[in-house]
Amino acid sequence: MKLRRCSRKPAFPWFGMDIGGTLVKLVYFEPKDITEEEELEEVENLKSIRRYLTSNTAYGKTGVRDVHLELHNLTICGRTGNLHFIRFPTAAMHRFIQMGRDKHFSSLHTTLCATGGGAYKFENDFRTMADLELLKLDELDCLIQGLLYIDSVGFNDHPECYYFENPSDTQNCIKEPCCLDNLFPMLLVNIGSGVSILAVYTKDNYKRVTGTSLGGGTFLGLCCLLTGCETFEEALEMASKGDSTNVDKLVKDIYGGDYQRFGLQGSAVASSFGHMMSKEKRDSISKEDLARATLVTITNNIGSIARMCAVNEKIERVVFVGNFLRINTVSTKLLAYAMDFWSKGQLRALFLEHEGYFGAVGAFLDLLKSADDT
Amino acid sequence: MELNGFHCDGEGCAEEKEEEPPALMLPRSKTETPCSLIATPGADSEAAGGSALREQRVSKSTPVMLRLDSLKKNRPPFPWFGMDIGGTLVKLVYFEPKDITAEEEQEEVESLKSIRRYLTSHTAYGKTGIRDVHLELSDLILWGRKGNLHFIRFPTHELPAFLLMGRDKHFSSLHTTLCATGGGAFKYEDDFRTMANLQLLKLDELDCLIKGVMYIYSVVSSGPPECYYFEHPTDPERCEQKAYNLEDPYPLLLVNIGSGVSILAVYSKDNYKRVTGTSLGGGTFLGLCCLLTGCSTFEEALAMATEGESTCVDKLVRDIYGGDYERFGLPGWAVASSFGNMICKEKRDSVSKEDLARATLVTITNNIGSITRMCALNENIERVVFVGNFLRVNTLSMKLLSYALDYWSKGQLKALFLRHEGYFGAVGALLELPNPS
Repeated sequence: MKLRRCSRKPAFPWFGMDIGGTLVKLVYFEPKDITEEEELEEVENLKSIRRYLTSNTAYGKTGVRDVHLELHNLTICGRTGNLHFIRFPTAAMHRFIQMGRDKHFSSLHTTLCATGGGAYKFENDFRTMADLELLKLDELDCLIQGLLYIDSVGFNDHPECYYFENPSDTQNCIKEPCCLDNLFPMLLVNIGSGVSILAVYTKDNYKRVTGTSLGGGTFLGLCCLLTGCETFEEALEMASKGDSTNVDKLVKDIYGGDYQRFGLQGSAVASSFGHMMSKEKRDSISKEDLARATLVTITNNIGSIARMCAVNEKIERVVFVGNFLRINTVSTKLLAYAMDFWSKGQLRALFLEHEGYFGAVGAFLDLLKSADDT
Repeated sequence: MELNGFHCDGEGCAEEKEEEPPALMLPRSKTETPCSLIATPGADSEAAGGSALREQRVSKSTPVMLRLDSLKKNRPPFPWFGMDIGGTLVKLVYFEPKDITAEEEQEEVESLKSIRRYLTSHTAYGKTGIRDVHLELSDLILWGRKGNLHFIRFPTHELPAFLLMGRDKHFSSLHTTLCATGGGAFKYEDDFRTMANLQLLKLDELDCLIKGVMYIYSVVSSGPPECYYFEHPTDPERCEQKAYNLEDPYPLLLVNIGSGVSILAVYSKDNYKRVTGTSLGGGTFLGLCCLLTGCSTFEEALAMATEGESTCVDKLVRDIYGGDYERFGLPGWAVASSFGNMICKEKRDSVSKEDLARATLVTITNNIGSITRMCALNENIERVVFVGNFLRVNTLSMKLLSYALDYWSKGQLKALFLRHEGYFGAVGALLELPNPS
């Protein structure tokens, strides 16, 4: 465990928040080394916050604590405890702020470090509704710092990073742990509502190469429209059962086989959703097929763009993060396959267990750093 | 690019010369009968204009190979077609000779005459075939003949009907080479043979595309300019189409937006590479629109898109940030997540079909623009030419591409368009007619 030196510890509670386009990611440090005196002096609302967060794994109708991601016995800033990972939809933001007001959060005089677009968008709401001042941080800075930190402390003595061995064999490809020994340079692809692609050269030197608006929000939005589903989990469930080749027009549908001249296999998609201009075909496919086609289309587009960036930036390691990949093995395997196949083995796709939480971790780290600076 | 033309005095005559593609300067067969390909001496020879012709008598029983061999040494017999069988549409170019002499006309076989009449006296064929009259090139000189070049399209799923028509009109008896490109030239090769007894000369679609672009650009000398761009694309008051001089075209990034997309870097007329492609193309736009709005045709989908507003459907940067994402230069109006607002039931219930059509168009178009920009950057090419039938009657996408390329490249890149949009592959195929393999 890497120890972080702090001359002055910030006041509890220790939170880091990433208010994204679709989800709010919250990391909360639960101290486990509280002495008896400390406990006696602890204010009631701080205690109640700690109890509320750690004794529940669901909050209201939409808040979830990802218990499987909890980091145990983390020592940071001279304190030892557990790091919890909590998420809820950004649409529930106002309710969250109200809860903060009801629990008199502002009386705790703690800094609330927040990143993501919502840190800017909701800044005034935090102030007016709950008398809370946000310390706004850039989402990409936080992403990188958070990623580096989690990688350095490890995931309860397991590796944080993994890849797929034999990605072309989708039935038998194996998830292998990977040590990000030589992290840099890396291409970091953050797939949230939308996508940002960063070239990271050292821990302090990175650039945003590009982005695409066809991200996780597109997948979910289109799925809701096309299939009537309502949640990410439902959409993925449907996608896992469908067959996108009934929906997409493949190279073989146009060529009758491979397009050999340019090395395009018959099984490659020539035109996503291309069969859907035919009424007959529209009537013959299922909602599951549509969900699968949406997933495959969005995933392959991201893979294709990521590959172009990797080639141009001359980087071989492509790390995919973001909550689009949460419980989404179809996409992770597809990305692993695409990177490997289209680059003829030159590129490798890497994944991280804490997926969409790095921004929040980065914000949390900034809290401790800002204590240092004061 | 030099024309395969050769001075023609209107007599349909030509000098004898050894075969030498592409400039065909050999006697053309005046007699389009099944038993011969070449002008025969004797009663017919006056019509030849009296030049010294290399003539051969070919009997009915001569095998096909001999005919094809002879064909090589001659201007191809009429009719002159080029065909591009794509994933969604078949594009056909047809050369209508306007310099047919009286004798020629007399000797012309009925099937050839009827084909010519059928094609040129209609602008619609069956329920789905269309001749784009506004694209017709008149008074074109091709291989020593003068005529009009016609541009016809029909859906690929109507190909069986087209083949039956070819059979019924005894097209195969004309022993003409049928030059075809596009995936369908490979996929339907057997069908052409079994259903209509026609042998295709299969050509690569990207080779044909480039040849076709260079040729058309070089022959369009009057009427509206072939190559153009948009000035002030997003300002409805000031936006105008302006001609662009593509005389010194290389290097060029050529983006072909059909059912899917191919992106080519073209360095010279014989040197190009396929940089990449994307499967999110015209077919995706139409397929998604049909599913989301219940429309059935490209024209309907575009009409709806014109009426709609995509900002209700998409999640913009300002929806997430409350304004610009200044740190990385992303303006508040930029789309952060296409269809991102559709995860919310309330918003789903509040958008119209037109909004969905618009969002689909914008999403597909911007994705193509973004990928194109990355390619242009990497290949170090500033000029980007967009072709393909996704852009047919689709000014919305053309303006979007113009704006996006200009904005995100800070004025470095320019989006160019060509009037003959999706027909270049077919033209390229036509140009291979003198070179049967």
